[in-house]
Amino acid sequence: MKKILSLLLCLAMLLTLGLTAMGQAEDGGELRVSLCIAETLGDLGFYDSANEGLKRLEADYGVIGSVVECKSDASMYQVALVEAAEQSDVVVAVGWQFWDGLTAVVPEMPDTKFIFVDNGLDGVGDNLMSITYAENEGSFLAGYVAMKLAQSGVVGVIGGENSDTINNFVVGYKQGALYANPEGTVLDPVYTDDYEAPDKGKEAALSLYSQGADVVYAVAGKTGLGVFEAAQEQGKYAVGVDSDQKYINPDVIICSMLKRVGDSVYDVISNYLEDSVFEGGTIWNADMSSGLVGLGYGDDTMTQQVSDELKAEVDALAEKIIAGEIVVESTR
Amino acid sequence: MGDVLNILLLQNTLRTATPVVLAALGCLMTQHVNITNIGIEGMMLTGAFFAVLGSYFAGSWVAGIACALLVGLLLGLFYYVFVIKFKSDEFIIGVALNIFAGGLTVFLLRNIFDVKGSFSDPAIVPLPTVEIPLIKDIPVIGPLLSGNTLLVYVSWLLVPVCWAFIYKTPMGFHLRASGEYPDALTAAGRSPERMKCLASVLCGLLSALAGAHLSLGYLTMFSENMSASRGYVAFACVIFGRGNPPKVFLAALLFGFIEALGLRMQKYMPSDLTAMAPYVVTVVMMVAVVLMERRKRRHAA
Repeated sequence: MKKILSLLLCLAMLLTLGLTAMGQAEDGGELRVSLCIAETLGDLGFYDSANEGLKRLEADYGVIGSVVECKSDASMYQVALVEAAEQSDVVVAVGWQFWDGLTAVVPEMPDTKFIFVDNGLDGVGDNLMSITYAENEGSFLAGYVAMKLAQSGVVGVIGGENSDTINNFVVGYKQGALYANPEGTVLDPVYTDDYEAPDKGKEAALSLYSQGADVVYAVAGKTGLGVFEAAQEQGKYAVGVDSDQKYINPDVIICSMLKRVGDSVYDVISNYLEDSVFEGGTIWNADMSSGLVGLGYGDDTMTQQVSDELKAEVDALAEKIIAGEIVVESTR
Repeated sequence: MGDVLNILLLQNTLRTATPVVLAALGCLMTQHVNITNIGIEGMMLTGAFFAVLGSYFAGSWVAGIACALLVGLLLGLFYYVFVIKFKSDEFIIGVALNIFAGGLTVFLLRNIFDVKGSFSDPAIVPLPTVEIPLIKDIPVIGPLLSGNTLLVYVSWLLVPVCWAFIYKTPMGFHLRASGEYPDALTAAGRSPERMKCLASVLCGLLSALAGAHLSLGYLTMFSENMSASRGYVAFACVIFGRGNPPKVFLAALLFGFIEALGLRMQKYMPSDLTAMAPYVVTVVMMVAVVLMERRKRRHAA
């Protein structure tokens, strides 16, 4: 009898131990989140924004974050996902490059939640959620502002590559620019085929400025840093992308098209932590109404080229887009 | 086509060619002492980083150049010690140098400047641009020859200087002899090893200068892997120009021209194809060299 009692006691102790361990995992203190980056951090835009979201999660919820940079190494994409999935509860894959990798890995790792940023992938598994952004709507506003500030009536755009995602920025920008001035000209986009080459960005921007553009929109990650240098050299303007990039060079960057990747990642994971809601198997299109796309003008300490009246016009346009009065073209 | 073939295309050509010219001048030094040096890519990248480092902390572009040259000197000596002194495989050391440079610059970037990927700051002082009086007022030639950054002119100056050094001075003669026929040099009482050391150091200095031009002249920032294979293109130019500085210079200009043209041809063909153009031209150039050599040999026979 004594033996049985002590055995039962031991069992109860073990059970409580197990339960407390599970409790800890659920209250978020130990949620492990891995960020898989297709290229490298330091683009001062897209990837860095995602990383900021992770840092905020670490600060607010005490999640244990880690970052894997694949450095554009195609052989890494799948390996990085598998390793991240083995080590963490939530894997955030940032970059279209993970498309094939996720298709293969997600069904094999049913216990891990996956978030795919910037592309919509469905039918892969209930543990995968995709986030896409209405960059065309934000770019519409950017195009509007660019054209309003272009005295020559000519604006240009530089893309990192000729792809659907990048062209989604381009069509919105073009539509917004022509909305501001139907007589204006939007030069053909120049693609650098490289997101990490500021030198190519500079040359591409110089060629656009020489064709008469007063404002160039840089949709090319780190390559865009060269665009800002070209603007400085030529005394012209540029529009930043993804993060509020104005601080990089407040004299030439009139505004930035925000794509708040970090905030969207933060929202999804905090929802999961607080309400255990994870909308797996769905694609969330973060549009103008979500507040995750729009324009940023830096802060008050920086030179402001965009007047307050123009900012108010932009806000009114955003309302129209949300209300559906303006339908922005899309390549998605 | 008027929007493609204009003065801006030529300006772009010069800008794109300059780092390749400088690196190629360095590479041809080692080529003449019979070392296949593919480490210039890494030397360039390290030079680019230290130029930014010097310029940022000392607040002057002179310090940036000095810093880059110092590192170039050290890398040249490093290359000499491993390849010539210890007789390691020049190819392996070259590759190792490139990989090491990539890792080192990223490591230092994160630890010194606490940034990832790229570092740009108003405190980095760029190279000055030089306006040449009188010439700058001439149409067409003016905007081409005037208003470039300092190292562009240095690179033009170095082409005849290197040519004269290699073909017209006793030391250049010894340098070539140490590559072509080292025994003869030894018999003449000169050390081939010392000439190889000189070539290696000159290569380090010039490659680092090419890097400094990239990060302080062409752009005013350092970005991870910003040498972007220019070292290999420079190597190809050296082979194409058979180590003769003016010919190597022309090869580099051709490369710059094709890249500049590629950027402007996007209207007429897909950007994936135009991005490939410089490398296609490199391959074509190599084939041309082989064919030319074969014809020359046949004539000799």
